[in-house]
Amino acid sequence: MVAPLYTTASGLLFHAGKILVVTIGLPARGKTHISRALERYLRWMGVKTQVVSLGDYRRKILGATKKVPPDYFTLGEKSTETQELRKKVSAGCEQLIWDFFEGGGQVVIYDANNGTKAARQALAEKFDKAGIHVVLLGESGSYVSVGEKIMLNNIQGYLQSRIVFFLMNIHNRFRTIYFARSGQSLIEHSYKADADLSPAGWEYAERLKEFVLDRRAKSLKERGLNPSKRKLVIWTSTHRRAHHTAWPFLATAQASNLAEGLPISSSPEPSSVLATAGQTMVSKISSPALNVKVVEKPQMLEINPGIWDGLSPDQAKKYYPEDWSRFLKDPYSFRAPRAESYHDLSVRLEPVLIELEKEQEDLLIIGHASVIRCMLAYLIGLPASEIPAIEIARGDLLEVVPASYGVHSQAFHFWDGPGRHGTVDSDPLAGKDDLNFYENYAEDTKGKRNVNTPEPSVIRD
Amino acid sequence: MSEPDEFQPIPTLRISDDLTRAAGVLQDMQTQGEFSGDHVHLPNSPPMLFGAGGPMLKRFDESTFASRIGSQAATPPQSVKGIGGKVAKPDYSESKIVLAMVGLPARGKSYLSNKLMIYLKWLEYDVKVFNVGQLRRTRAKQKAQQYAPPYSPVGPTDPSLSSGIREDHTAQWFSHENATANQSRERLAQDSLEMLIQWLKEGGNVGIHDATNSTRSRRASIQERVSKEKGISLIFLESICDDPAIIAANVALKIRSGDPDYKDMKPEEAKRDFLRRIKEYEKVYETITEPHLSYLRIVNVGSEVTMSRINGYLSSRIAFYLMNLHLKPRSIYLSRHGESQFNVDGQIGGDSLLSPRGMQYSEALPALVTDNIGDANLTVWTSTLRRTIQTAQYLPYPKLTWKSLDELDAGVCDGMTYEEIEQAYPEDFANRDDDKFNYRYRGGESYRDVVVRLEPVIMELERQENILIIGHQAILRCLYAYFHDLPQADLPYIKIPLHTVIKLTPRAYGCDEER
Repeated sequence: MVAPLYTTASGLLFHAGKILVVTIGLPARGKTHISRALERYLRWMGVKTQVVSLGDYRRKILGATKKVPPDYFTLGEKSTETQELRKKVSAGCEQLIWDFFEGGGQVVIYDANNGTKAARQALAEKFDKAGIHVVLLGESGSYVSVGEKIMLNNIQGYLQSRIVFFLMNIHNRFRTIYFARSGQSLIEHSYKADADLSPAGWEYAERLKEFVLDRRAKSLKERGLNPSKRKLVIWTSTHRRAHHTAWPFLATAQASNLAEGLPISSSPEPSSVLATAGQTMVSKISSPALNVKVVEKPQMLEINPGIWDGLSPDQAKKYYPEDWSRFLKDPYSFRAPRAESYHDLSVRLEPVLIELEKEQEDLLIIGHASVIRCMLAYLIGLPASEIPAIEIARGDLLEVVPASYGVHSQAFHFWDGPGRHGTVDSDPLAGKDDLNFYENYAEDTKGKRNVNTPEPSVIRD
Repeated sequence: MSEPDEFQPIPTLRISDDLTRAAGVLQDMQTQGEFSGDHVHLPNSPPMLFGAGGPMLKRFDESTFASRIGSQAATPPQSVKGIGGKVAKPDYSESKIVLAMVGLPARGKSYLSNKLMIYLKWLEYDVKVFNVGQLRRTRAKQKAQQYAPPYSPVGPTDPSLSSGIREDHTAQWFSHENATANQSRERLAQDSLEMLIQWLKEGGNVGIHDATNSTRSRRASIQERVSKEKGISLIFLESICDDPAIIAANVALKIRSGDPDYKDMKPEEAKRDFLRRIKEYEKVYETITEPHLSYLRIVNVGSEVTMSRINGYLSSRIAFYLMNLHLKPRSIYLSRHGESQFNVDGQIGGDSLLSPRGMQYSEALPALVTDNIGDANLTVWTSTLRRTIQTAQYLPYPKLTWKSLDELDAGVCDGMTYEEIEQAYPEDFANRDDDKFNYRYRGGESYRDVVVRLEPVIMELERQENILIIGHQAILRCLYAYFHDLPQADLPYIKIPLHTVIKLTPRAYGCDEER
């Protein structure tokens, strides 16, 4: 459970009552994609949500397509048997919906054609009578991308408006989301110091740039996409260690612009200004110029350690024994004095997740481990309690590709050096600054927690 | 703490905890050579290793040139120094929207466009309303002045003497059967749209075309014009209102607010004419049904919303915002926490408890609030800091704590007094005075960062009814600026005194305020 600030006795959130979202439209128009994305988002907000898919149900009951009578999917007259069969399948699905609502569920997304107007009306009336708000979610005309074809009937209520807001921002254009940690900074264990990158951090930043560009070129080639037509958008936090890690990307973009004699749209000085390079690129030669945009987002700052800023785990344990033991008991919702809990962080990140959905271009998020944890948990659909234990090693690039049933994710290891893991490191000198235990909780407590941590190297959905 | 002592009473244990903690940190700092000697507050101050209060930070900054060595970037960034710096405005250059209003007169179009403008401006988008009625009046005035005698002793401001040519802008002018006026109105709408597009090209983000745009043909011509511009999108926002009470109130407001069209008429006469004008529009009014247009239709503000083909991030935010508005009467009460110990000592930030005076305020608060609000429902919002929770402790209403209502984070300067900051970092201190809105404390926040963090709070506030916020100075400044549409530069100087409840009651235009 993530976003709500409070819950109500009924377990239904936002005082919104029960909602049935009914998809309308022909197959293969992204209905499943929309349904699954919405389910993931609502679940992440803590709303008890379930997709009921007519297709999945039919396959379960009747088996594969070849066992279905030939006139099952065709238009026009159908045999009595087929009609019976269709009725049976849709009745079964409706039963699933009722069961979920009766079991305390709040939102059902009914993923089906829901083809004829009469059938839709009958369905809507039935649920409306039971006090369930029906939202018809459909397409009209012949649009291509998901983002354009969302049409809804009368929207009332807060949760409904959030659903709409979310739906307006999703799309199914192919893109890749990369996650990497920021480079090591000079005072790694202090939030407040906002220190510069260490020499190892700068080296890391260079390696990250090379690896991401390489990896991205390969993946675009596989897809037959033209790299010069695609922009790479980089999001960082406003902390120096994060946006400085994006520096080499900007330097490369500038160099490639200069090589082509194009004006540079923005210079990367002074350091805290949002920098943009090569916004209007025209590519003439075979090695395409790099089109990069770097955006600093204050909402993407690492988890605030509050009074624990700058302390080692031993010090925290020693001076704040009570807080420490409560933290160990529930690392997701415990908030140390003046600190943020992971719950607070997730709430803070919610607007960024909408922007993440909306972004059409390839996205590289150079973030802090705590932030990457929360965003990854959202994309993959992990329960909140597991968020603090997700391992995000420095030197790994996580590649997430949204697909219709969820996401495909893969991790690539590209760098070994000081500050790769938390406190434990083969280089005794390197570990010294790496004491930011609150931020790097998962690395510090490897194997000590009794949760199912996803495999660190490859996470697949 | 070596052995737990079960006979020790709890308060003593608490204090000794703090002492032990502080002593331990000191010891660690000493053994690690980090202890600097001055500016260590005992016993309640948390261990602060990288605050700006001691020489540590300066010494550290001086030693960081080493970090340049590893950088291969052609132009390495400047290394960090001091206690903060200015931040730049976010880049919104890619967002360009024409928002064309649709609706009969007195249906709340101006209310919605005004509300939306304030919200988007608060979020730092560049927004401007292009009101066709205004343009019509300006033009008519210019025309009248052109013919005015050049050295009239009375001056052109007196319409009765300025010229003989005065355009008739009574309901007659708004009749669709009046061909000359039709043409003239058409041209006005076009001109205003041209001005709007020009303004967007010069860097604006959202231009609101405030006109009736009541016919399909008018909307089609707007759509045709905007589609010629690359990178500018068009949304229609239709406001429908069938509640006679609201319409009557809007009509009354229009006449009372000194609408220039009616300044020479008696109120009854003006009202009659205005209602006739509405009738003229009603004759040709066509609600939006065009399936190819992006539109939002709002019925009786907040009671029903229909939308079609809305896409794009900013458009969806606009839609989300409008969906959360309502017109139910309610008030928002703002109060700072009672005086805290840090207030007494002049320190900033921190998480101190209330001073004795602050405690008095928290005891007096319930009576003050209850006297004002009576039996109505109220929800109290506090931050997660102790001084706001303590201030709210005696209030007999449901309470919620919001992390996002916490005070502006002063980063490395947390716990210092302004005098100390000025002494240690005179230049940085002057920089902050120079541009307080954009100044971000190192390891902390700027006012701009706070505005970003408060956006979800604003959204929630719009949708709630009576709310009392027990907050902090910087936070309340940001919220107050939103409700009163105050400019960014003034925001950090708004006076929000201690021990005062500010009552804001949203009205059609702006807010009423009581203190």
